[in-house]
Amino acid sequence: MSTIAETASRGQTRRRMRVDGWRWAGRIFLVFMLLYTALPMIWMLITSIKSGFAAMQFPPQWWPDQPTLASYQKLLDPQNSVGQDFLRFFWNSLFVSTVTTILSVIVAVPAAYAFSRFSFPGRNFLFFAVLLRNMFPAVIFLVPLFILMRVLGLVNTHGSLILTYLTFGLPLAIWLLKGFYDNIPVQLEQAARIDGATRFQAFILIVMPLSTPGIIATAIYSFIGAWNEYIYAYTFLSKNEQLTLPVGIQRFFSENTTDFPGLMAASFMMSVPVVVLFLVLQRYFVRALTEGAVKH
Amino acid sequence: MAHVVLKDLVKTYGSFKAVNDVSLTVNDGEFVALVGPSGCGKTTTLNLVAGLIPITSGDIVIGERVVNDLDPKDRDIAMVFQNYALYPQKSVYKNLAFPLQMRKLPRDEIDKKVKEAARVLDMTHLLERKPRELSGGQQQRVALGRALVRDPAVFLMDEPLSNLDAKLRVQMRSEIKRFHQDLKATIIYVTHDQLEAVTMADRMAVMNGGYLQQYDSPAQVFAHPVNMFVASFIGSPAMSLIPLEASTANGNTVLTSAEGWSLELSQLNARKVQRAKTKKVVLGARHSTIKLHNSAVAGAIPAKAFTVEPTGDVTFVQAFLSGAIVNISVSPNIAVAPDEQIWLEFDQERMHLFDGETEMALKAN
Repeated sequence: MSTIAETASRGQTRRRMRVDGWRWAGRIFLVFMLLYTALPMIWMLITSIKSGFAAMQFPPQWWPDQPTLASYQKLLDPQNSVGQDFLRFFWNSLFVSTVTTILSVIVAVPAAYAFSRFSFPGRNFLFFAVLLRNMFPAVIFLVPLFILMRVLGLVNTHGSLILTYLTFGLPLAIWLLKGFYDNIPVQLEQAARIDGATRFQAFILIVMPLSTPGIIATAIYSFIGAWNEYIYAYTFLSKNEQLTLPVGIQRFFSENTTDFPGLMAASFMMSVPVVVLFLVLQRYFVRALTEGAVKH
Repeated sequence: MAHVVLKDLVKTYGSFKAVNDVSLTVNDGEFVALVGPSGCGKTTTLNLVAGLIPITSGDIVIGERVVNDLDPKDRDIAMVFQNYALYPQKSVYKNLAFPLQMRKLPRDEIDKKVKEAARVLDMTHLLERKPRELSGGQQQRVALGRALVRDPAVFLMDEPLSNLDAKLRVQMRSEIKRFHQDLKATIIYVTHDQLEAVTMADRMAVMNGGYLQQYDSPAQVFAHPVNMFVASFIGSPAMSLIPLEASTANGNTVLTSAEGWSLELSQLNARKVQRAKTKKVVLGARHSTIKLHNSAVAGAIPAKAFTVEPTGDVTFVQAFLSGAIVNISVSPNIAVAPDEQIWLEFDQERMHLFDGETEMALKAN
């Protein structure tokens, strides 16, 4: 009797240890992932507050002897040419990303709703056609889209970028939102229509508020995609005053190769909007991704 | 309140006919249950009345208006859904107020009506809660409140009780019945539970395969089912249906089993069988109309008890006759054991006879 109890308890301890072992392996892995993603950011931040000379030293200064915000002042000062350029790039990026975001929400919301609720000829085919675009690397479309933009007379305009970003952002936005609408019981709309709402009112008053998290996630996704995009902006735009941040920063600092603190300060400020958006709205973003994926 | 008329109502999906020439009239203030197994077309019929799906052909009249092409919002109806369909982002108060807001009522009137509905349904203390903070029964009640708050011509209810647990279901059943009696409301109530239909409805429409099988009061449907489907669907445990062969012996009409026994029929029943176009007759008997004997009795048919299920008040015995299951209810003080020999006596007055080919009830005239 006692031997059985002993074996049982020993088995239990061993099982607990094995579980613990995996848990610790998981934690260690996560710590490595954190270092891997966070260290470059931290190094970027540290470099951005060094003087130009300190940034070039070897062995490096892990913490600058004389931390300075000079690079930030230079970049944000509209009086000098560096500041003017940076602020213009920033504004261009903000403009392109915001317009892309607004347009993609305006298009994706009704499109996703239609895919979710209505049955029409070619519905499945169209839905997969929408996703088809995402099955190829973006670069494949670079030359064809450039030719198209030239024909449309859109080269060297922000319109060319907004259009292009929409073709990348919309498919996933529609897919994400459709998952959301699929999870909203159709009876809610039916109830609203019986309670006196038109079909459109039922959508605006009942369905839209329920899908806010999905719409927010869609918006973040479009914004980040447009904000970070480099290769199309690099190809479609050549005039200095139109450049967006990724291209602008790259071009600007390839002319002043030694100014690492300036480059890092600019990069840091470029990542601020994305980080802020993510921190504020990540709750919705994660929920949207999982809700779209799992059918209840 | 208003009456509702369905005339030759048809709904097809491609070549599939979901609702087939359904015609029925719901009188002003009447409680009608649409009842049938799943897929019988009862919910589709309700959605057609609500205007949530377009009709293929036929007419729907609510009050004095033909509403075939009207939007749901213009039909003056209210609906209670199986999953309640409460607006999750709105408080109970706002859920109740929504139909009134949509009708652009002044705010103080909305407030008065919402509070009145909340008082009637005893949920004044819940007004500020969100639907997810309510129990199933409370959600049910809010759904009911949202329907009654604006005093519609007709209430449509789509299995409103089937998401509740058994105890709450019985309680809400009587509440809805009270609600109907107090308001004199016209109600069309869809359910797959024949017991709900029998206990609540003034009249019940039994549907199967998109067809209306029988439309009558529960008592009539119970006592005089028009065919074998209705006979077996209404009542629990189900009516026993025993396939037999009609023949004449010594001038008397008898039903003979392939097992060798035969049953002599009363005059009325004999007339029914004689008028049938076929020799194949199905004998139907409800559990309470079959008498169980422990010893041989004249006219009783020998059988073997298969299972014995005591429930306290009654004991249900199952036996096989002619390959069919026969349910019998007996008083608990009658001793029966499985595999024991028993004798079954059928009540000629209350037995049902069906045409074995058309499955329709046989008539004496």
